[in-house]
Amino acid sequence: MENNRQMSAQQLMRKLSEAMFFANDLKLYLDTHPDDSRALKMFREACRNSEICREAFEKRCYPLFSCSSDCENEWEWLNGVWPSQKMT
Amino acid sequence: MFIFTKMTQIPVKINNKNPKLASYILSQYGGPDGELGASLRYLSQRFAQTDRSGIALLTDIGAEELGHLEMVGCIVTQLTKGEGARSFDRYGVGDYYIDHANGVYPSSASGVPFSAAYLQSKADPIADITEDMAAEQKARATYDNILRMCDDPDVTNIIRFLREREIVHFQRFGDTNRTDLKVFLYKNYWHLYHFYRRKSDGVIGFCHTSFTIPNNNNNNDPLSE
Repeated sequence: MENNRQMSAQQLMRKLSEAMFFANDLKLYLDTHPDDSRALKMFREACRNSEICREAFEKRCYPLFSCSSDCENEWEWLNGVWPSQKMT
Repeated sequence: MFIFTKMTQIPVKINNKNPKLASYILSQYGGPDGELGASLRYLSQRFAQTDRSGIALLTDIGAEELGHLEMVGCIVTQLTKGEGARSFDRYGVGDYYIDHANGVYPSSASGVPFSAAYLQSKADPIADITEDMAAEQKARATYDNILRMCDDPDVTNIIRFLREREIVHFQRFGDTNRTDLKVFLYKNYWHLYHFYRRKSDGVIGFCHTSFTIPNNNNNNDPLSE
């Protein structure tokens, strides 16, 4: 994520959804294969990676969780792309 | 509990408008094999599950299906954004406009409102999980039909993604079904055999399923091999 200054909001979102997708898919696999140590290791890694991607996105763009909103001066949660809208 | 995240599983960005296509895709929102039915089915069935694996899987897949519901809603919205009554009429979906205008309403492509009669919650792990596996295949088949109707690459890419998820979920439910069989019903089991006949048999794509009920004195776990 060194070059995330150059990355657009769309690229950051792409990276984040890829990272979260990987973690989610491993989660479903682990539900039925809870003893697979290789998958457990991959899951830990995937969660760490998606956290990094999420922080990078929220820092540059807008909050994805209401708790990551900046409430100092304004209700930042209203900003950003809601499900009915599309990213420009 | 559920926490809303302001993003979709993959980004939805559709540039063209097409109210007709939107009315087809709406079937995966509130149709008989749509995402709303899927998520309600899994999230309801999980309360009666006793096996941890089953509870976790129904919860996690049910939650993912809710996310897919949102994605389908996004596709429908973006395909109809800014289109007026005349445009809906030109595309042949004037009747939808009369009832819902640009709103997203949970109904099937043929206009039947969503019904909980599409799903079942039986408190029987074999019955429930087998229904779930069938549901995933029916949803997959519906996505196939949508892909036959759709030539907008923005839409096709997302529909393909959602279609693949149905296959992954089918696989995961299949895994838990094996666990359920092992844990609960090893003394009173039946085995499912699938024969996918090959071209040499003269039948293509024909699937025959037969049930074998073994004798109940046999306590050997049939799935341990």
